[in-house]
Amino acid sequence: MARRYWNINLEEMLEAGVHFGHGTRKWNPRMAPYISAKRKGIHITNLTRTARFLSEACDLLFDAATKGKQFLIVGTKNKAADSVARAAIRARCHYVNKKWLGGMLTNWPTTETRLHKFRDLRTEQKTGGLNRLPKRDAAMLKRQLSRLQTYLGGIKYMTRLPDIVIIVDQQEEYTALRECITLGIPTICLIDTNCDPDLADISIPANDDAIASIRLILNKLVVAICEGRSSYIRNP
Amino acid sequence: MLTVRNVITLGVSILTALRLSIPSKFAPPSLPYPSSSPNPRNSSLSALHSAPSPSHPNPKPPTSTLPSSTTRPRRKRRFRPTNAAGRVNSPPAFDDGPEETEYEIAAAYEELYVLAYSGVSVLSNDIYVMDSKVKRTSAFGKVKKEKTKDGFEERVVQVRRVTKVVKGGKQLHFRAIVVVGDKQGRVGVRVGKAKEVIDAVQKSATNARRNIIAIPMTKYLTFPHRSEGDYGAATVILGPAAPGTGVIAGGAVRIVLEMAGVENALGKQLGSKIALNNARATVVAVQKMKQFREVSEERGIPMEELWR
Repeated sequence: MARRYWNINLEEMLEAGVHFGHGTRKWNPRMAPYISAKRKGIHITNLTRTARFLSEACDLLFDAATKGKQFLIVGTKNKAADSVARAAIRARCHYVNKKWLGGMLTNWPTTETRLHKFRDLRTEQKTGGLNRLPKRDAAMLKRQLSRLQTYLGGIKYMTRLPDIVIIVDQQEEYTALRECITLGIPTICLIDTNCDPDLADISIPANDDAIASIRLILNKLVVAICEGRSSYIRNP
Repeated sequence: MLTVRNVITLGVSILTALRLSIPSKFAPPSLPYPSSSPNPRNSSLSALHSAPSPSHPNPKPPTSTLPSSTTRPRRKRRFRPTNAAGRVNSPPAFDDGPEETEYEIAAAYEELYVLAYSGVSVLSNDIYVMDSKVKRTSAFGKVKKEKTKDGFEERVVQVRRVTKVVKGGKQLHFRAIVVVGDKQGRVGVRVGKAKEVIDAVQKSATNARRNIIAIPMTKYLTFPHRSEGDYGAATVILGPAAPGTGVIAGGAVRIVLEMAGVENALGKQLGSKIALNNARATVVAVQKMKQFREVSEERGIPMEELWR
């Protein structure tokens, strides 16, 4: 894995507030090597280590994208939902915006059945089949369609299990992380001071509360994916 | 505190004291005299940093600890890719940047991934492309159950009808214990519960296929040595046998050993006689076994020693 330059600026990260952790009482002692100081009852993460992990994660994503792997970005917090969707659309990856349904990956055949239904509903909507039904049936189908759109809208292009999963907050997305571990899928996770760094494959100690910090880190990862993809398209 | 800056300062002062030539990049630039109002915060630091050597023509400008200060001469140039306008070349963030229309997004996704389940094709591809990859229930009744040809044979050890008593009455389920194995040293034992026997057997078989262990066997299809294993209250002792003996064991133990492909073995169930626990105990016993070659390599002694 060659090391490349990803323009990770420590001053930028300070401005975005990547170094803030959670309160002192809520910490996980396994995060001790990544915490540099305690200020006003909040832990401060060591930004040099964050930068190092971030660049390693970007290298991994770049190499995987050059080989044409599929990615999945998971982020269900209210604050992060919008930026996760936009980042994934920009990088042409799959994403899970709203609640992560249990068993989305481990129970993939059932998820696939739901995706089939989603596709059929969409084709019917496009060809106008919903207008020919009585009002009550049409309303039920429309409701189903909107429900499927919110939960499965981001993974409708997924044909098989993803190769790398990016998770935004470990505490929120614990079920998703557990599923990836049982299936053996490599994960990149944004870790805060109350999370366990040993669960994910590459854990980036960062602030998962501030929108700016999530945006910054997602931006770097997305840039890495895009660059790898463009070189994959040029010579597959 | 010994930092790079201090060391360089010390070096420069030593070189000037010795009247040796200083490499151009370490020589302080010829700035006008430092600002008339010296920064009170940095005055103490500048006193520490500046070397009061008489031969030094220009006094060193006061150093400051602020990262954005421009009075200090840059010693180390950090690598920053810039273009001619002096701005850093980084692609726009995903939030700003040109807004893409839905058509563009859909087209880009379609190029990358086969149309999958999106239902609407922008580049006029076939939207039912996923059907051939996934088995769907055909219109004629039941799906034809295709036997997965992965070389594993299934044998049902026991099927029991179990009951859960609820307010409305009794709820009946079937519990199936299935042993899955190819006859070449790989077995798996698992349980599955469902409302119908066939479904329960299928469930347990799928689970068993996911958890398979390998049995160490010798050339004559028997164990390398005897071993014991327990699970719950069931204890099982297994022992090797000479070729031609066959499998001499009861019930669940016999089925597990037969599916593994062991031809000659002895086994006895001590303790409880429950089928599930005995099957699991044989698995535990078998996992404890090691081949002679492995042990001699680990311990670093020749194999003849092990048979003394």
